[in-house]
Amino acid sequence: MKRLLLLLLAACLLLGTVSALAQEEVTLKVLWFNDANESEVFENTVKDYLEANPHVKLDMQVIAFADFEQALKLQLVGGNAPDLARLPTALLPVFQSQLEPVDGYVEDIEAVKAAFMPAMLAYALDPEGKMVAYPTEATGNGMLVNKTAFGNAGIDVVELSKTWTWADWEEAAKKVIAANENIKYGLAVDFTPHRLSTIIYQFGGRMLNEDQTAVNFNNPQTVAAIEWFKRMHDEELIPKSVWLGSEKPNELFMGGIVAGHIGGSWNINGYSSSIKDFEWTAVLNPKGEIRSSVPGGKFIASFKDSPHKDEAQKLMAWFSDATHNAMYSAGTFNLTSRLDAEVNYTANKENFDTFAEDLKVTPAFTSMEWNSPLVGKSSAIIRETVVQALLGDLTPQEAAEEIDRLASDLGN
Amino acid sequence: MQREMTRKTRRPRGNFHQTLAPLLFLLPNILIFVLFIIIPAVQGLRMSFMNWSIFGGITPAGFRNFTRLLTDRVFKITLGNTVVYSLATVILLTVVALGLALLLYKNRMKGEKAYRSALYIPSLLSMITVGIAWRFILGDEMGIINYLLRLSGGSGLGFLSDRALAMPSVIAVTLWAQAGYYMIIMISGLQAIPLELYEAARIDGAGRVRTFWHITLPLLKSTVLVVLVLATIASFKAYELITVMTSGGPGTTTKLIVQQIYQVAFTEDRLGYASAMSVVLMVIIGLFTLVQFRLGGKEQDYE
Repeated sequence: MKRLLLLLLAACLLLGTVSALAQEEVTLKVLWFNDANESEVFENTVKDYLEANPHVKLDMQVIAFADFEQALKLQLVGGNAPDLARLPTALLPVFQSQLEPVDGYVEDIEAVKAAFMPAMLAYALDPEGKMVAYPTEATGNGMLVNKTAFGNAGIDVVELSKTWTWADWEEAAKKVIAANENIKYGLAVDFTPHRLSTIIYQFGGRMLNEDQTAVNFNNPQTVAAIEWFKRMHDEELIPKSVWLGSEKPNELFMGGIVAGHIGGSWNINGYSSSIKDFEWTAVLNPKGEIRSSVPGGKFIASFKDSPHKDEAQKLMAWFSDATHNAMYSAGTFNLTSRLDAEVNYTANKENFDTFAEDLKVTPAFTSMEWNSPLVGKSSAIIRETVVQALLGDLTPQEAAEEIDRLASDLGN
Repeated sequence: MQREMTRKTRRPRGNFHQTLAPLLFLLPNILIFVLFIIIPAVQGLRMSFMNWSIFGGITPAGFRNFTRLLTDRVFKITLGNTVVYSLATVILLTVVALGLALLLYKNRMKGEKAYRSALYIPSLLSMITVGIAWRFILGDEMGIINYLLRLSGGSGLGFLSDRALAMPSVIAVTLWAQAGYYMIIMISGLQAIPLELYEAARIDGAGRVRTFWHITLPLLKSTVLVVLVLATIASFKAYELITVMTSGGPGTTTKLIVQQIYQVAFTEDRLGYASAMSVVLMVIIGLFTLVQFRLGGKEQDYE
């Protein structure tokens, strides 16, 4: 009897220890970068989860985006994987093989997948169709214009942009420059292949071949886009100082020097708080062969080598549900990546809607191209070689051939 | 015999104090040097003979990474840019630092210490800060200098977007940022030269120019050599300033070899090929340093 009591006591103690261990404090290391205030909004959004799960703590490591890729690579290679990381579309393919699929951690993975925009979900799927990250916010590339400057030239830019082509834009931009003393250029385009690809897609071009196995700039539409881009630089409708001199297009736009800016949807937030001297608005992208944006966005993911995968997956699922995704999108002034999230923006709703309009007509192959590691690896080559075309060292045709040649060498 | 006995009995004590003890004191430094310099260098050398991707496989490449360098157009351009940048900055830094040091080392001029501090302060700033500040000064459209030029009726210059001006602009900013640091080294060298030598030269009727060539410069040779070596190594490793100011542009006009190595390693995920570039860079820096030491020659006792 005594022995039985002792055994029972030991069993109770063991159970107590196990349950205490189950609630053992877990600190999730979160590697993050900010475009604006995202880390702060993320922490606010998951506050209720942390209150409901007091044993979970966050160790937020917020680093500059410029250092993010290298820092994450070094942590993974060094066996010090974070539990969670914020990833942009460009880095998803780079780290795809390292990410822990969500599939095993949720009851109905198909329902989870169906809740997200197909273009965003396409980024989050690995080659086997497993979902390796949760899309958080969606972004698009669109045109932001100085409405006051267009108005000074007698142009109702919102009305015109509903049907405009690049030829219409060019004509309007020349009038705007002539009518405004401060406006020197029609358009600034960010110094990235991602923003350039907006124009390439609008011209009907592609960066990869059909099955996305090789870089293929050498097609008539892509060459035509580069030719147009060079002509705009030569005619000073686009400032040389961005692609040749590393000046920031958003600074030129905010300074009232350019009439328009092809940039990401995150600029809406910055312009909303910074521009006081003139009225600005987002307008639909001009049409070339087609009208297109470039879908992009950010994701949250855990890693195969993360020390606290279970807790990380639970937190991600909570953060990515419709309610919390809407909170996060509203707080960060971003487009939602979910189909069922009702986002109550406190300002600029019409501008976000304009970007979303462009995203709706964007062909699916654009996200497939940007989901390929080939594009990410070739980005520096694309940038440098297009600049050579702008400088006149190469013709647009030669530049396209050179990009294909250099990119084909990357796998060797 | 007795002397030999004495030597034998003293040897262990002498060995410990003269050999082992200094080694023990040096051990932490040696360990750090081995851990963070020697082992990574050896690993880098090993990687240069491999095809090495961060998350991909590792396969032997033999000398292929090195032979590919011979036909790599961008590598040749960046190597050429690095040599131009290095030669220009090292020569200018040495001359300007020496000139400033000669002006400010005697402690005779009013406000000399303030001038020294003002010239030294830029070298305390991070090169990223320096780059951002000068981008705002030299920018085509938003730059202060072009704003002033336009106010005075000019059309502005493409300091960072014109191929003819981008490299000189970067070199000028490097000079602004680092001349003060090398000036301080030169001043310490100048202050170590015995004043009696100058007095003797003056008594012998030597003028300022002759004194400079026959006393100052020869006695400053070891200091100049230190400046040359430090400035050369720094110039070959310049990264932050150029990345912030021009991103290596326009095109590849100001792109240096370290930026290319970074791009190949971390954007293109070709660590083996990037390691081969690093090995070539290490050999070049080593050769430059060796040549500088050879040209510096042996120390002479002028006293």
